[in-house]
This record gives sequence, C-alpha cells and structure tokens, in this order.
Amino acid sequence: MNKSKQRKQTMSQPVRIIEKKPIPTEALMLHGLPDVGLVGLIATSYIISELDLDEIAYVDSDLLPPVVVLHEGLPHAPLRIYGGKNIIAAISEMAIPAAAIHPVMRKLTDWAQSKKVKMVLSIGGMPLENRQDIKEPKVFCAASNRDLLDMLDKKGLNILKEGYMVGPQALTMRYCAERKLSAIVLLAQSFYNYPDPEAAAVAINELAKITELKIDVSKLLEKGEEIRLRARDIMKRTQRELTQMKKSREYDLPLYV
Amino acid sequence: MSDYIEDFKTWAEEMIESATSERPSWDIESCSLEPLCNIFVTTKEVVVTADLPYTEPKTVRVEAIGKDLIEIEAKMKRKVNFDDFGITHRKGEFSSFLCQTRIPVPIKPEQMKTSFKHGILEIRLPRKKGYEIKVE
Repeated sequence: MNKSKQRKQTMSQPVRIIEKKPIPTEALMLHGLPDVGLVGLIATSYIISELDLDEIAYVDSDLLPPVVVLHEGLPHAPLRIYGGKNIIAAISEMAIPAAAIHPVMRKLTDWAQSKKVKMVLSIGGMPLENRQDIKEPKVFCAASNRDLLDMLDKKGLNILKEGYMVGPQALTMRYCAERKLSAIVLLAQSFYNYPDPEAAAVAINELAKITELKIDVSKLLEKGEEIRLRARDIMKRTQRELTQMKKSREYDLPLYV
Repeated sequence: MSDYIEDFKTWAEEMIESATSERPSWDIESCSLEPLCNIFVTTKEVVVTADLPYTEPKTVRVEAIGKDLIEIEAKMKRKVNFDDFGITHRKGEFSSFLCQTRIPVPIKPEQMKTSFKHGILEIRLPRKKGYEIKVE
C-alpha cells in the first residue's frame, strides 16, 4: 500500500481492530479498561487468566501513544482482545488517553455489533471516599435498556438510578444503547486512585449472578498486595487521564426537573 | 501578602513540575519505591493518604518537614527487585516506600493524627485558621 493510501485509511479509520485469530460469534464481551481503582482491568485480566483465553485481536490507532508491551520478549499491543469459550474480553495495559477514548469505545462497540456479540459487560470502579473503612464493597449496575434493567432488579442487584457516569463505561452505555446492543455496567465501590483487587473480586462474584461465569476469586485475593505493588505506575497514568476526562463529575448531583 | 503570593507561585510551579515530570516511581539509590499518594483538602483539615502494600504497620514513619512538607517512609515486609516484576534489563532492590508530599494550605503539623487500615495510611492535619471577619 502506498503512503497516501495508508494516510487516507488512517484518517478514515482512526481506530482499527486487527484480528489475529477467528473471533467467537454471539459471545459475551467483557470490557476491562483502566479506570477508577483499576477494578475493570484487574477483574477482566484475572478472568482471562483463569479461563486461559487466547489473544485474538488488538486495537491499533494513531491516537494511542507509540507503546508496545513486551511479554516474554515478544511485542504485544497494550489494548488487546482475548477470546474463547464464548467469551470476548478487551483489556488495556496502558491508560487510554482522554482524547482517544471516544473513537476507541465507538470502534469497540461497532466491532462487537459486527461480531454479533450477545451482550457487552463493562466492569469498573465507583470511587468511595472512606473505602479503607469498608470491608465488603457494594456493586452497583446500570443497563442499556429497560428489559435488562428489570432483569438486574429481579436478580437483586443494586441499580444505579440517578447520577453521572464518566469514562469508558459511560461511552459503552451510550454507544450500545444507540446501536440497540445489550450492555450492562458493573461498578464496584473502590479507591479512586489506588489499585483495588478486593473491589475487582467483588465485581467478579457479582458477574456470576447475571452470567454463566463462575470464577473462584481466592487467588486474586491472595495476590492482592502484589497487584497493588505492580499496578502503581498504570494507576498513576490512569489518574491523569481520568482528571482530563473530568471524572470528578461523578460526584455532581444531577439536575432533572 | 507578597510573601504569600510568592509562596503560592512556588507551590504552583512545583505542582506543575511534579505533574508533568516523567520520573520513575522507584529510586535505586535509596532502595525505595514511591507510593501512590492522595491529598484531600476540606474546610477543616487536610487528609493525606498513601497506598502501602507489603508494609508492616509498626515501621510506618510520618514526619512534618517545615511548615508544608510531609515525609512518609515505611519498610516493606520483604525486599522486592526488578526480577520480581519480570524485568531483567535493570538491577536494583527495594526495601521501603518513601515519598514527600507538599501540603497546599497552612496546617498545624503538631496536631497530626495517623491511622493505618488495609494497607492504606491516612494522615489528618487540622488546617490553620485565619482571622475572622465580622459580618455587619
């Protein structure tokens, strides 16, 4: 491909998903992108490792920093998609820049629709000021349509009724609702800017109430301190991006007259 | 007043520098890791927290340096090195957490209170009161 063609493609497709292996269809898609307490990233990475899912695709974009992650000497894109066992899971080992979050989430939603994903399930954290005083964080959820919301309510999950949502989960909800794609957001009470493996474990346990995914979280809890130690740098960079996205808006009281 | 403005300018410059500088979160010389820290200013106090995993609570030391700087140090239960993170191209061993945090408003460091729960250090510093203006 010549340079001008390449440039045109980059401009028309600011975000591309490069598929490496066959993609499961009619699967459940998990989103675990860096956010408050890295809850979604920790939870989804743990699920990927427990289910031994394969890397099936990755996200490429000029809007993302020029970063590659080396694992056992081999390069990987930081924003990757894993799959297998009727599950697709997207994670990012790098804070997604605030400027790229819209096109990235839009692309992930379009791609999910093209793969006939049954439901998108986005996991994240909900900042709690006195988190260190709470032993068992609560999980709140939201859904992209009324039927799903009723289902969550019937199953006894805490519904997020009013308020603002900012970041990757907010866009998952918006784009999935626009495309009539089923989506649920699970938000576990967590530290704002400290990695929170306990909150991730609680979110995984909550998943079992609404999906077939039954994952034992004991190993995750055992490794909690190690994860907190390892995740300091990505947490710091994620916090900077969250500030850019005005994440603090989630504390605002909504006006709906 | 001009001293206050000067102090504020210095603090603002340092905040910008610390926010934009690209320094590592570890220091080989002092064998320490920089913990994640947070500052929250309320009307009555300043709350500083730090995430200190792998820490023995008894070893946590908090010191007020001057009127607006807090130093936090804590020994880790075991030493960690780059190999533990799978990094083989660097050498170094870390045995503690160490950081200094600048407090953005006047405080009473002598009335500082600390607690340590779930690996999170919390420091509460009462704010210094200014002078009261009578409302007519």
